Amino acid sequence: MDNSTQESHLRSENSVTYESPYPLYAMAFSSTPPLPSSHQRIAVGSFIEDYTNRVDILSFNPDSLSIRPHPSLSFDHPYPPTKLMFHPNAHSSLRKSSSDLLATSGDYLRLWEVRENSVDTISLLNNSKTSEFCAPLTSFDWNDIEPKRIGTSSIDTTCTIWDIEKGVVETQLIAHDKEVYDIAWGEARVFASVSADGSVRIFDLRDKEHSTIIYESPQPDTPLLRLAWNKQDLRYMATILMDSNRIVILDIRSPTMPVAELERHRSSVNAIAWAPQSYRHICSAGDDSQALIWELPTVAGPNGIDPMSMYSAATEINQLQWSAAQPDWIAIAFANKMQLLKV
Amino acid sequence: MVAENVKKQLALAVRSIQWSYAIFWSPSATQPGVLEWGEGFYNGDIKTRKTNQAVELNSDQIGLQRSEQLRELFESLATAEATPQTKRPSASLTPEDLTDTEWYYLVCMSFVFNVGQGLPGRVLVNGQPIWVHNAHIAEKCIHSGTILIFPYLTIFIQVNLVTSQLGLGIKTVVCFPFLEGVVELGTTDLISEDLGLIQRIRTAFLDILDAKDPKKSGPSLKTRYDIDVASVALDHNAYDANYTSPNSSSNAFEANQQLHETYMVERINGGASQVQSWQVMDDELSNGVHNSMNSSDCVSQTFADPEKIASVPNDQNQTDFPCAQDLQECNNTKITSGDLQGDQWHYQQVLSVLLKGSDQLNMGSHFQNNRKEFSFVRWNKGESMGCQRLGGGTSQNLLKKVLFDVPRMHMDGLLECQEENDFKDKERMKPEVEEIGMNHVLSERRRRAKLNERFLTLRSMVPSISKDDKVSILDDAIEYLRKLEKKVKELEACKELVDLETKTKRKPQDMVERTSDNYFNNKTDNGKKPMLNKRKACDIDETWRDDESVALKDSSTNSITISMSNSEVLIEMKCPWREGAMMEIMQAISSFHLDFHSVQSSEADGNLYLTIKSKFRGPTVASAKQIRQALLKAAWKC
Repeated sequence: MDNSTQESHLRSENSVTYESPYPLYAMAFSSTPPLPSSHQRIAVGSFIEDYTNRVDILSFNPDSLSIRPHPSLSFDHPYPPTKLMFHPNAHSSLRKSSSDLLATSGDYLRLWEVRENSVDTISLLNNSKTSEFCAPLTSFDWNDIEPKRIGTSSIDTTCTIWDIEKGVVETQLIAHDKEVYDIAWGEARVFASVSADGSVRIFDLRDKEHSTIIYESPQPDTPLLRLAWNKQDLRYMATILMDSNRIVILDIRSPTMPVAELERHRSSVNAIAWAPQSYRHICSAGDDSQALIWELPTVAGPNGIDPMSMYSAATEINQLQWSAAQPDWIAIAFANKMQLLKV
Repeated sequence: MVAENVKKQLALAVRSIQWSYAIFWSPSATQPGVLEWGEGFYNGDIKTRKTNQAVELNSDQIGLQRSEQLRELFESLATAEATPQTKRPSASLTPEDLTDTEWYYLVCMSFVFNVGQGLPGRVLVNGQPIWVHNAHIAEKCIHSGTILIFPYLTIFIQVNLVTSQLGLGIKTVVCFPFLEGVVELGTTDLISEDLGLIQRIRTAFLDILDAKDPKKSGPSLKTRYDIDVASVALDHNAYDANYTSPNSSSNAFEANQQLHETYMVERINGGASQVQSWQVMDDELSNGVHNSMNSSDCVSQTFADPEKIASVPNDQNQTDFPCAQDLQECNNTKITSGDLQGDQWHYQQVLSVLLKGSDQLNMGSHFQNNRKEFSFVRWNKGESMGCQRLGGGTSQNLLKKVLFDVPRMHMDGLLECQEENDFKDKERMKPEVEEIGMNHVLSERRRRAKLNERFLTLRSMVPSISKDDKVSILDDAIEYLRKLEKKVKELEACKELVDLETKTKRKPQDMVERTSDNYFNNKTDNGKKPMLNKRKACDIDETWRDDESVALKDSSTNSITISMSNSEVLIEMKCPWREGAMMEIMQAISSFHLDFHSVQSSEADGNLYLTIKSKFRGPTVASAKQIRQALLKAAWKC
């Protein structure tokens, strides 16, 4: 295999590791399921506090458990990408065969077409019609039911909904009183966001005048940093708080009262991801260097909920992605490594 | 088969303990060996009370009515075809009216259980009550039965149930054998196991049934049966053991005894009369065995056909077919099996979501099997506790950087170009797309543009700007302001002196003079440091230091520095030279009871430079300020 020489991964007994030349934060699995004896694309974004960041495209072969970088597909992304995401739908009008659409957020929302041998910018989406300036984006989410929609969250307290096919802003809403840190789609027209104001709010594009607060952090104004909506059971979403080891599980029908709080991390939680194939499982990763998989019981015991399983990494885990195309793989990022874990 | 008044008894029973529902699972008339919905009573929360209730009903009647309505609804859903709306009005309830518990109850109507399968099925086999108060387990075991799915209901289950509280609402479920079937009770409360409760229900429940049964005969003989019906039923012999021999009965008993369990035992006579015993004791058992001989029928005929059991596969996938049969038999729907096949995907999905969920993430087996292949290990509290706390100081370090710092970095980077743009924007700014949102963004941007504009102005006003960033601009501005303040004070003081000098004049007096070149100049370099820091840094009680500003270096102003440490006073001063000035200064100082250690003076450029080291006689009496004022008066009075 000519690949073997350029493979920069370390393979241990139970995980596949890719070591990057720089610290990693953003990470995304392609939603195209790999064909037999094929590979799955993974995008990783560097985190350098300077304007020298890059996005690298890797390919992962689940059969041979190898990760191969594609230097020709790497591209500059001056600001550290705050999030990467491949087109959520394998079949789309925007997509051509053998190419993937990748979205990145940071200073702007950008769309890239990832082909076999090259990557090109398709569009740079700036929500300000009047200037080059666009408030920094903390995150975004691609609507998997209506893939022409991407919602971005920004520190200017707004969320912007893009029609990426037309390249226009569908709507922009003042979502919160403070910076918006994450956004997640539930349905084609329904999204939720979390903010420094400590609230989780649900928005319906059909009624932009109103939003529903479904949770507020217990200590007022403890920022909520991340949000994950359970795609298998839209009743549930999960959020994490600043400087907290808790994962708060919300039932959208019982606002303000979390249905569960998962508190077995030994220090703060950095990332959460629902299982793409099960409505009861969620994975979390934190500063305690652990990735935990939880099975939500129908009733919590008096001593709280214990995780089902765990994985210990070498250091603080900053990022977590659960592959929708291959639900038995979870990717975590810590320091300058990305590790693929078999579930 | 099901007694007419079973429903009423269920109602009484469930209401007496305030649980949510009671279901009687009775043997299916069409499918031997299978338990299906017999009767039920719903006692749980009711979401919408229909306004069309004509008469005032008591709560008992309301419950019964509700149960009827639920049944009606279920039947209307079940029989509805592809265009359900046409048939739905027949039911007085619509699916939208239901609470979660009612949904649960409704879906239960579609369940059928094979013997040994699901909670009721197992109860039937074991003949003993099962109490599940951990719904986590309950969810798995209750609903592992087979569901009859109807196309329309499928849709509803997907829409409503999957996203509703199925299994979550009901937290405690109890099943116990009754008549030929099984009674299931459920509640939304978490209630720990209490066999006495079951007994009480049974007693109340059964007594009433007994009392109403006209065919009841010879109860005294039959009051104590101690035979585990289900055990018999499962016994291989039981197939043809309707007329039980003492041997087979005692075999059944021995099997039970080995299990050391308390069985709730019941026996049916003629399908109507029934008695029970509780807590089988050894000595009673023999009686029981005897009595059992008298009872002429056995439920095992209905349930325990081994061939049937064998023929009903446990696997859900394979039960599709029996379902299809049920569907056609029971509901007269016109769905072909082809349609059903087409619905398989839905069916499978609903089943997997409804029934388990755990098979979707089949991790349990991984732990045991190929451990090496999988990255995750079973969570272990001890192991987890052993893991050291990482990260030291800040938690969520990178996450915070991404969310908090990157935007800031972005803002800084954009500062310059943004300014230009904003100025340009002002003319043609119009809210677009979403007015509120855009307005906000624009106003925010305007605010920042103004800020930057002001910064530029400030920068142009402050002479010594070390760096270009905002913090440096502010620092330099602060420093510059302080200097100006000092200058103002100085000038004010100077003006005061000039006023005084014009009033009085005195003669100079002799004084010892020594010269010391440049002494003063060397000292003044400290002046650029912030005053506050200096004051705190040294242990001087009070320091007054007047600096010569760079800009005003050449002007003929004065400077007085007084440093006091304990009782020692160091005075450095510069003033315009004149005759007798030295004398007057010394005089002014001596009035503060100071002993002079050394006095150095020099004269240059028409200025007098004076350095005096002195010490207070006795306790310190004068502050530096007082001394300074005295000196100012003395030095500039002429």
